[in-house]
Amino acid sequence: MSLSLTLPAILLIPLIGVVAIALGAKPKATALGASVLNLIPGFLASGVVLRSGELLFGPDPIPAREVFPAKFILGLDGLSLSMLWLTLIVTLAAIGSARKGIKREKEYYICLLLIGLGALGAFLSVDLFYFFSFHEVALIPTFLLVGMWGHGDRSGAAWRMTLYLMLGSMVLLVGLIGLFLAMPETARSLDWRVLSETLKANPLSLGTQHGLAILLLIGFGTLVSLVPFHSWAPGGYASAPAPAAMLHAGVLKKFGLYGLIRVALPMVPDGWKEISWIVGLLLAGNILYLGLASLQQRDFRWLLGFSSAMHMGTVFLGLISGTLLGLAGAVTLMVGHGLSAALGFAVAGEISRRTGTSWMRDLGGLAKRTPQLWFYLVIAAMASIGLPGLANFAGEIMIFFGSWTAHPLLVGVAAWGVVLSAVAMLRAVRAMAFGPMSPAVEAEGVTDLHGLRETWPFALLTLALLLVGVIPLVVYGPARPVLERMVTP
Amino acid sequence: MSKWFSPEILLTLAGVGLILVDSLAPERIRRRIPLLALLSSLGILVWSLCPSSRVLPPSWLHLFVSDGLSAVFKPFFLLCLVVVTGMASRYRLAADEMVRGEFLALPFFPTAGLCLLASARDFLAVFVALELVSISLYLLAAFHRAKPASLEAGIKLLVMGGLSTGFLVMGIAWLYAGAGTTEFSKLLLFQAGQEANPAVLVAAGLILAGIGFKVAAVPFHAWAPDVYEGAPTPVTAYLAVASKAAGFILLLRLFGIGAFALESVGVFFRPILLTLGIATVTLGTLAALPQRDLKRLLAYSGIAHAGFMILALGTRGEGGIGTVVAYLWAYLLASLPVLLFINELELLHGSTDMRHLDGMGRREPGPSLGFTLCLLSMAGLPPLVGFPVKLAVLANLWNAGETPALVVAVIMAVAGLGIYLTPIRVMYWEREADAIPAKRFPPFLIWVMLATGLLNVWLGLQPQILVRLAEKSLNPLPATEAIRE
Repeated sequence: MSLSLTLPAILLIPLIGVVAIALGAKPKATALGASVLNLIPGFLASGVVLRSGELLFGPDPIPAREVFPAKFILGLDGLSLSMLWLTLIVTLAAIGSARKGIKREKEYYICLLLIGLGALGAFLSVDLFYFFSFHEVALIPTFLLVGMWGHGDRSGAAWRMTLYLMLGSMVLLVGLIGLFLAMPETARSLDWRVLSETLKANPLSLGTQHGLAILLLIGFGTLVSLVPFHSWAPGGYASAPAPAAMLHAGVLKKFGLYGLIRVALPMVPDGWKEISWIVGLLLAGNILYLGLASLQQRDFRWLLGFSSAMHMGTVFLGLISGTLLGLAGAVTLMVGHGLSAALGFAVAGEISRRTGTSWMRDLGGLAKRTPQLWFYLVIAAMASIGLPGLANFAGEIMIFFGSWTAHPLLVGVAAWGVVLSAVAMLRAVRAMAFGPMSPAVEAEGVTDLHGLRETWPFALLTLALLLVGVIPLVVYGPARPVLERMVTP
Repeated sequence: MSKWFSPEILLTLAGVGLILVDSLAPERIRRRIPLLALLSSLGILVWSLCPSSRVLPPSWLHLFVSDGLSAVFKPFFLLCLVVVTGMASRYRLAADEMVRGEFLALPFFPTAGLCLLASARDFLAVFVALELVSISLYLLAAFHRAKPASLEAGIKLLVMGGLSTGFLVMGIAWLYAGAGTTEFSKLLLFQAGQEANPAVLVAAGLILAGIGFKVAAVPFHAWAPDVYEGAPTPVTAYLAVASKAAGFILLLRLFGIGAFALESVGVFFRPILLTLGIATVTLGTLAALPQRDLKRLLAYSGIAHAGFMILALGTRGEGGIGTVVAYLWAYLLASLPVLLFINELELLHGSTDMRHLDGMGRREPGPSLGFTLCLLSMAGLPPLVGFPVKLAVLANLWNAGETPALVVAVIMAVAGLGIYLTPIRVMYWEREADAIPAKRFPPFLIWVMLATGLLNVWLGLQPQILVRLAEKSLNPLPATEAIRE
């Protein structure tokens, strides 16, 4: 058996799960089973990548002269490897943390599986057509999840989120079209390996690169909630049901960053360098403006929404550092942030499900009543602040070191971001932990996480955070050769 | 031998035969007319896919041509006919009143006209074919005589159709005055390497206006929403897909590969086409957003789609032509199932208001899923077939350097998502779902909607198939293509 078949298997298993649920299989068990089963091809594929650096499935990229050369090629290398595992783990935890008693379970789990499928497909696609298409697969399930099962102003949040993401996608699409058409007609391809090589040998003119880089920045940036294209994110995540927020903030948002590393950095390198001052300004906006905004939040879910959008600024700093260390830090922080955001939203979802509120001032005394939930809350908060030993710290410190020579000022800004984030998170932790027991927490029936059945998704995310935090090599080691090729001219 | 059995002749024979059966045959056989109509339309569709059906009778050859474009579009119209016949055979005028046989026989005649139109190589043939189409459609639109809206639709179509024919005939007259011929290839030869004759320019403008009515391009679109809403749903489907495509074939033959595409004329008309396209896309999209009636919504969305295709046509070169061909097929694949669904919805609830969709996602998961997929395909969302064609439109605009049009197209593609998400939201978000009576769709709809939904997905993942189709439609190009530029 050829191991390259593991790649389509990774996409096929959730799809089979979706069909099975639609035909009447038990929703949660099937979704969970599909996510667990998906780890097997994940492991097999990872083994190959760790040994030989790359695994491919699909037709050979013979540059046949076609008007529209889209080919269904799947590929896994050191960079997509970490994204693959982020997706597998967060999907598993998101489905595991979804609780009984939701209305219309069938559709709920189908939507969750589809979001995971979209992310997996996007990270595994080598062809830009499918890369883009798979990401869009997640758009409608997100719309339905927020709209049907969301909290608060779910309708407004769903519309805003969907149309914003669609706008970002369309700008991105125009950028990709421009990139494709900027190639000489004989060398046109949609395969990013071919594109990177061709464009490395014959770079585009500076003007073209400049324009394309801006389009790609706006397109991908909207998907990553870069200021000023961020306004869909905090409210959207606050309204989304917890597993949807976990998957979107944890995984799907990373598509934009992954896309920038995959497309913008290697294909329009000079253009990217040209506009790095714009990126710098915007990311400072992310860190300072959204950081200050997060201080003002009274609702824990909104706080998480803001803080999740805020940390994207630090990743962008890694992307404009131009050094291997900065890029490696960005990839590590992407993984770390994905895990910690997922953990945060999972905890927030549990808290509001159990107490019926996510207003922080109504949650005093949580530490006494629900110590386990409290523990994971602290882990999520500490990871988000950047406590050493957890994944985010490793990523942030690498980014700071890597960007110091090129952007010392921005490193200062980002350091202030850490402070802002610490203030916001510690205040939240204090408000929810101590003080007199509030009526919502004291109410009858508020219980802690109970047994392994309920805690394992939280434990899984925490262990992953610790693993990457203690040994960040697991993320940037495999990615290093890929990133090195991008940094060396 | 096969040259006497071109689809046009068979369609006419079938139509006449059905009417004869309806008026002469005993009741026992008359009740089988829906089946007869469906089988004969299916048979002709299959026949039209055989290469030997493309041989035309020799006496037609000075008016008609059998080329790639006609080979790709005759099956298109026949597929429309099959679906419309299927819809019509389920259509009821009142709760238990079956439609009469001529409602099933009549669509055969406009289809014959459209097939002729796809082959026409002379304005005289175009005119005759279009009249055949229009007159049958006036009858069909007003078929629901007890319903004032249907009569209104018939009258509106008649008046607007008359106006459009007037523009077209006037244009043909100017053209004959300016160029001395009405044949496409002679016109091309006349125009090649020559400065634009003012009479020809006036003619091209008038003809564009005439076709503008057919495709419901702004500012000739005002009839569409009322007519779509009032006409019986099978007729709406015919108008929305087949009749619109007919207009685009003419546009392709004239402004895409024909005389008006030559640089001397095109230099005037490409900006006009782009402006028309921008106006059409914008108005169609923005007007569709607040609609609550599904048929009106589709009318405006159809206007927006026409705008996207006109934008593609307004760019130079073959890319735009192939894009329109592929776009029309993608549009057919997405919108016919949607209209089929709406037809069944109307049969169940008596109207096409969106509130009947409330809670549909739970009551009818299968058809709802198919409907959702087709709507998203119309929205141009990957991985559905509507995406690659919209991508092609944007790529053509980028390639041609038409930045303003590109920006408008992008914004409208995003806003367009709002149009199609509205019915989806109603189906799945359920507000007052309990108030809905438990009426069930017929079982066949589950399979039809799911199959077409999956077809949309599959073709969206295999865009090469559409690319081949577009290439085939341009192959062989008219012989005179060589003298362009």
